[in-house]
Amino acid sequence: MNNKICKFLFFAVLAASVVTLSGCKSRKPSADMYGSDNMYGDPLLGDVPLNADNMGLPMDGDRSMFEPVMFPYDSSQVNPEEAGKVEAVAKYLNKGKGQGVIVEGHGDERGSREYNLALGERRALAIRDYLISLGVDASVIQTKSLGEELPASTGHDEGAWRQNRRGVFAIY
Amino acid sequence: MRRFFLMGCAALVSMSVLAQRVEVRKSGEGKIAINLASYRTGSDTASRTFLSVLKADLNRSGYFTVTSAGAELNVAGSCVSSGSRLTADCQVYKVSNRQRLLGKSYKPDTPDPRWLAHRVADDIVYAVTGKKGMASGKVAVVSNRTGRKELYVCDMDGKNIRQITKDRSIVVGPGWTPDAKNIVYTSYKRGYPNVYLTGRSKPLSSHGGLNASGAVSPDGKSLALILSRDGNPELYIKSLRTGFLKRMTKTRRGNEASPCWSPDGNHIAYVSDTSGSPQVYIIPGNGGRSQRLTSSGTENVAPDWGKNGYIVFSSRVGGRYRIAMANPSAKTLRVLETDWADYEDPSWAPDGRHIVCSRTASYRSSIYLLDTLKDSPVALLSGSVDWYSPACSP
Repeated sequence: MNNKICKFLFFAVLAASVVTLSGCKSRKPSADMYGSDNMYGDPLLGDVPLNADNMGLPMDGDRSMFEPVMFPYDSSQVNPEEAGKVEAVAKYLNKGKGQGVIVEGHGDERGSREYNLALGERRALAIRDYLISLGVDASVIQTKSLGEELPASTGHDEGAWRQNRRGVFAIY
Repeated sequence: MRRFFLMGCAALVSMSVLAQRVEVRKSGEGKIAINLASYRTGSDTASRTFLSVLKADLNRSGYFTVTSAGAELNVAGSCVSSGSRLTADCQVYKVSNRQRLLGKSYKPDTPDPRWLAHRVADDIVYAVTGKKGMASGKVAVVSNRTGRKELYVCDMDGKNIRQITKDRSIVVGPGWTPDAKNIVYTSYKRGYPNVYLTGRSKPLSSHGGLNASGAVSPDGKSLALILSRDGNPELYIKSLRTGFLKRMTKTRRGNEASPCWSPDGNHIAYVSDTSGSPQVYIIPGNGGRSQRLTSSGTENVAPDWGKNGYIVFSSRVGGRYRIAMANPSAKTLRVLETDWADYEDPSWAPDGRHIVCSRTASYRSSIYLLDTLKDSPVALLSGSVDWYSPACSP
């Protein structure tokens, strides 16, 4: 339980100082970072630039190696109970196994398609931020939002939607 | 009574545009009866198709009722098909005083009777009402009819469907260039979501992360789009000449989506969820502060800014999506009366009167034409596959 809270607090602050934080887990979150303006499950994302161009980057990878990270409705916050899935990927990449990862962000079918594209990207970027904070080199993490275009379940109920709000790791 | 109902609708959407005035619909306004009984065609398929498409276009325009008796206007002329050519002439007279409102001959390069009928219909609408018609416009739309999500184009009557992309990938969010010749869209054909222009194989934008929701400015020089290259999805403007990128928003806690340009190109309306739910905002194209157009308590997405000055968008009211239109300068709001289905992704038709949007019922999405004045909705594209994200040519 304590451990979970620690992870949660840690994630809330990591975005503020993605670069300086790597490896340092003990920093306390500041009040405004963890304050009431973060009431909708949208973390403050880091501003580590992405690769300049995606042409020529690996397009696909092995999705069977790691469990997808699940998200609440209209949220791009990696919840504490999902954080271990990201840490497993960081551990794998930090050991020098695999060249990199494509983090694929997905949403459920509710809401506009274009908005869901942006939301899917934020989910992928939230996972990317966490990976960077765990020491993974930013240049080997690609993000790809699929919005609501590739659902894991084609159902139309809460059970299906829950399965579809996810971040998938494709290892290359 | 009606006024109270409309005010109720407005209260439900509760736009933040204060001191708004609710527009009361003009109802029961008569249409102009128009008679084409004396219009001559050959016995060939082409010229007969011409006449039936012309009649359907006039009925769909919202301004006319095609009748065979008691008309206010008479249409005379003929359509002749000879070999690979189709020619027509058309005169429109007022029955009361024989005043001629239109007299025109057509010798098009194409023998396509639909193409010609759409143009004649728009000429008649303009000659009689002084308003731009919509019949010769086109609709870009996405469908899964091949099993993949490809881009299609059809006429404003939902006919003449052509598949534009064969990417065998995913197409999202098409929109036209201001010259109505090309379409900007997002595709995953090279793995990542990039912004493409029809007829150009190299992407317009392929930064790391998200490249989406491309919208070309009215002067054709700039592209508004959503990029995540700096670590978060934000609104940018890219110069199509120099490639120079200008970042318009900095919302590290929020998403931006769906930009569209004001008719004069000075402002951009877009969606942002910085307030906690997706809402429509307006930002000056040269930078500066963005202003919220719609308010909380619901969801307001997918704006399209018409040449008539109205921003039409999809508004979530009572758990379902409806079509709403707001005039940002006059501060008016209206929610269109629709049935229980979800109506999304509205796009102004070229006539500035009709709206094309998707209608989703029982998880099946089709394309509908809505009239902002009085006509009932018309299905343009429907069936056993999904049609969605329509965009009308300007």
